[in-house]
Amino acid sequence: MTTEQLRNYIDGAWETSASDELLDVRNPATGEVIAQTPLSTSDEVDAAVAAARGAFDDWRETPPAERARAMFRLKALMEEHFEDLSRTIVLEHGKILDEARGEVRRAIENVDMALGMPSLMMGYNAEDISSGIDETCIYQPVGPFVCVAPFNFPAMVPFWFLPTAVTCGNTYIVKPSETCPISQNRIFELLDEADFPPGVVNLINGSRDVVDALLTHPDIAGVSFVGSTPVARHIYATAAAHGKRAQCQAGAKNCLVVMPDADLDRTVAALLTSAFGNAGQRCLAGALVLAVGEVYEPLRDRLVERAALLKMGNGMDESVQVGPVTTRRSLERILGYTQQGLDEGARLVLDGRGVQVDGHPGGYFVGPTIFDGVDPGMAIAREEIFGPVLGIIPVDDFDAALAVIDDIPFGNAASLFTASGRWAREFRYRARVGNIGINIGVAAPVATFPFAGMKDSFFGDTHGQGRDGIHFFTDRKVVIERWF
Amino acid sequence: MELGTFGAILTFAMELEGQAAAFYERAAEHDPAGPYHTRARQARKRVVRLERARREGVSEMILEAIHGLSSEDYQVEPDPGAALEAQAALLEATAARFYRDAAAKIPIPEIERLFRRMARDLSAGEGR
Repeated sequence: MTTEQLRNYIDGAWETSASDELLDVRNPATGEVIAQTPLSTSDEVDAAVAAARGAFDDWRETPPAERARAMFRLKALMEEHFEDLSRTIVLEHGKILDEARGEVRRAIENVDMALGMPSLMMGYNAEDISSGIDETCIYQPVGPFVCVAPFNFPAMVPFWFLPTAVTCGNTYIVKPSETCPISQNRIFELLDEADFPPGVVNLINGSRDVVDALLTHPDIAGVSFVGSTPVARHIYATAAAHGKRAQCQAGAKNCLVVMPDADLDRTVAALLTSAFGNAGQRCLAGALVLAVGEVYEPLRDRLVERAALLKMGNGMDESVQVGPVTTRRSLERILGYTQQGLDEGARLVLDGRGVQVDGHPGGYFVGPTIFDGVDPGMAIAREEIFGPVLGIIPVDDFDAALAVIDDIPFGNAASLFTASGRWAREFRYRARVGNIGINIGVAAPVATFPFAGMKDSFFGDTHGQGRDGIHFFTDRKVVIERWF
Repeated sequence: MELGTFGAILTFAMELEGQAAAFYERAAEHDPAGPYHTRARQARKRVVRLERARREGVSEMILEAIHGLSSEDYQVEPDPGAALEAQAALLEATAARFYRDAAAKIPIPEIERLFRRMARDLSAGEGR
């Protein structure tokens, strides 16, 4: 059986890359190669940009309602292929089927929101801003945009941006994750079937060279990125240096604060999902539990007891609750952090190392791992591990918990578990993070709200999704007029 | 099988309803004038409703692991020698019990409501 080589989608046609550099795409549950993705050439990047630039003028003149209708065709196709897409994500990423279905649902939600663009991108006006003079603000598309996508939500993340960008009248290029490129390729088959005009949506496979070529190309208007903080800094700086808009969602170290009055059963269930869902590979994953006062010991004991029961295995098996991590490199990094935690003096109260899953000797499995006695200064408390590793830090009171959150360089998300409205209000008012959960462990904004982030977790000003997305993908033009 | 995830529960519910529909379709062949065509249609409709719930009710925010629910507790093997109506009653009572138990376990209010409604409808003899 030959391994599928993924292709680029440029100017409405599928093309095999001329590159002879191919990366293997592996099934994390087995380690088997399931596809190969090309590192596309600079000529292919130029062709994708030329296609997007060439399609822009006609597409921006296409009425927004017609643009939305094309997106509606895509929605219908994504619903029809919902299960296939979900299973493709499991195959390339390793997450469990429920998580993959949730990812596809979130991608479709962004399409749903974009269907309202004919009214969402309406401008506003005021009569008589001065005597006999009226002023109007109109929203106009900008040009070709790019998404540089991460491996952890390979289907969803490009859809935080593409539907909004395209229905606003821009053209688009997706550079999928080279680790998990298959689901985005499948979605582009649906985009092709939805019959967008050639050049409106394009896909180019590759890695850093492709990204740099896109970032420095004079015809690209802006870039949306989700990934690690070092890469986000690079993309933000390079895009800005070349006069482009950029919204770069970066790393995280999210804290879950548990107050003594929290409902312990419900809280533990939410913490487990937050820390170990998606095998901890999401920027909204809970990484540190800040246990306030007397809740510390019962919370720790309950967490360890329940985490130990989570069933690991191949995400295709619906009885499985935690899948493998996505790459061998990720596995090694996570195991390295586990050793570092031990070396730094933290107590390993649940050891996820050495997990074996029957029939899957080549899979990248690491089980739920919990450290107790973590000090906020330890590397495992400050650096993003991006795996199923949770640290517990006992703190004296609410203010001490906020101080730990403040001291972490990242500002993506934090959650508070409490029965007190007063603490909840204090938390959302004072915590310096972008996405706040109150009795929610995964504070994931839906399509109509911006996916926020602060500090080293976000570089840019307007975020993806919601009204922020519409602002990012449009210019606001002001017209001031009087008539003689 | 341990039904430890949202998807496992919904998939098992779809299997239960699929088995029920197949039973009603066979029963309708034996008793064409009876209520079984209608009940088969109702069961197929519930499969579609459940599939839609599995597709649309899933939320990353609250995908929590579920404990204490096993498919073995809801296996039904009606006695083929028993009257059709007695076999149907056993299937429906088992499904209703499953929906009630699962509703108490699943942390998603929309799905909890759906399961409670389906348990109520089955207990009330929907389609008879």
